[in-house]
Amino acid sequence: MIFKDVVCPFCGCLCDDIEVTVEDGKITDIKNGCVLSESKFLNYDRDRAKPMVRKGGKLVEVKLEEAIDRAAEILRSADFPLIYGLSSTECDAQRLAVELTERIGGTVDNTSSVCHGPTILAAQGIGAVKCTLGEVKNRADLVVFWGCNPGEAHIRHLVRYSSVPKGLFTSEGRKGRTIVCVDVRETPSTRLADIFIKVEQGRDFELLSALRAALKGHEVGDVAGVSSEEIKQLAEKMKGCKFGVIFFGLGLTMTQGKHMNVNAALSLVRDLNNYTKFTIIPMRGHFNVTGANEVCLWQTGYPFSVNFSRGYPVYNPGEFSAVDILARGECDAALIIASDPVANFPIEASRHLAKISTIVMDPKVSMTSLIAGVVIPTAIAGIECEGTAYRMDGIPIRLRKVINPKFPPDEEILRKIIEGVKG
Amino acid sequence: MKCVLISGRTAKQGSSLEVGKTSKEYLENVAVVMMNEDDMKEIGIEEGEPAKISTKFGSTVVRCRKSKLDRGTIFMPFGPWVGMLTGVDTQGTGMPDSKGIEVEISATDEKVQTVSDILKMMKEIR
Repeated sequence: MIFKDVVCPFCGCLCDDIEVTVEDGKITDIKNGCVLSESKFLNYDRDRAKPMVRKGGKLVEVKLEEAIDRAAEILRSADFPLIYGLSSTECDAQRLAVELTERIGGTVDNTSSVCHGPTILAAQGIGAVKCTLGEVKNRADLVVFWGCNPGEAHIRHLVRYSSVPKGLFTSEGRKGRTIVCVDVRETPSTRLADIFIKVEQGRDFELLSALRAALKGHEVGDVAGVSSEEIKQLAEKMKGCKFGVIFFGLGLTMTQGKHMNVNAALSLVRDLNNYTKFTIIPMRGHFNVTGANEVCLWQTGYPFSVNFSRGYPVYNPGEFSAVDILARGECDAALIIASDPVANFPIEASRHLAKISTIVMDPKVSMTSLIAGVVIPTAIAGIECEGTAYRMDGIPIRLRKVINPKFPPDEEILRKIIEGVKG
Repeated sequence: MKCVLISGRTAKQGSSLEVGKTSKEYLENVAVVMMNEDDMKEIGIEEGEPAKISTKFGSTVVRCRKSKLDRGTIFMPFGPWVGMLTGVDTQGTGMPDSKGIEVEISATDEKVQTVSDILKMMKEIR
């Protein structure tokens, strides 16, 4: 059986034109996907997690119900539980994770605290001029990629939305667009650009500020390894385009300065709107990390790092963000949903997860599942169950189910855990 | 030799994590450091040989690959090997410093650290 127009649940592009072939209840082929999408669909059945509970220091396979009961028991008796992850699951599961957190007086954080959390902090400060990827496709004649590498991380972004496609006012496709890459190193993306500006590592804030100055007609010298001439030319190009967009990545958010780097980028775009139409979109990594922010926002008023210890939501990144809570050794239990912090966090933060009662809900064996006390296997959102996910530009898209799962979706498991913590 | 470490995504890192975190593909594609050829000569290391990288937070051993990076800059794909080198100070933002980390890199006789080596270090504390 062939499923058409399947949504790819890998990155924030949420490409919705994947063709998946299923034979004898297994995925045997996919078309239209990038190398990341192919790997996700074709390896969906490899390295699957099993229900496990740690007994006498060892993870032992148990019945699913036993793992769920144990999870509920841990969370019910915890003083300061952390619920973290959520970017690779669908919105209903995210909603229930917030409900569970409120019920147990814990902290809920999603992976955006270690990706575009600084973007959110900056946007809360000064706002952001945004648009959809459809508008980019149909209108943008100047596309700037700053501190991101779609050629490797969002592979079909260039073909579907930002570089190649022909749209309503972009009938020439790639020929009619100028592509600029600003990065600290040469990447597959910089090689596809018309203009590559190499910025010194950690100096993005200075370069963005120099562009703002040049825009206003101030004299600027050489800044951050970029010549005065290049800065002036780029400022003029930005001013002179019909519809410009900056896509930016972790080059801004993970580098020293963090939210202040993003603040400078948002300010530049705001300034540019005095001359032309200019917008900015963060390149979101996990397929539904945007959804994790949206759901947390409409449920609690805040997009990530939310604590319920006082019975009402309190927002404070740096205090209630996962890395900080773990580094300070504050939480006594953790529920990790659809994410693998041990494979990504600084070792000192991961160590605390190995010390406390950690519960992992994941379709696959992850590094976190290998140090956990309880492992609950789940269906893969977007392959084995439906749900809603938010694309990087904030557009909700309905995920499809192409395979019958062996284990329930996150949503069903979270419902049972919520029942369990009620006691 | 002193270098600045940048971490980030690669297509191979993204596709091999779907194969499995304990797979050979993941180890081969993620436990790597990319480095300028002249820098490799300076520390006496050949393509594919193990390199030891240390920061004030910890150290790891990964395989060295040559690249077109500027001298003094090294790149590693996101993964637990970068986690061995990063600190937990987020300056109140929630985000650790994952790009622009000062490191010391040298050739080594030690073996490339595996996922189970890293997990063992955590379990010892358990």
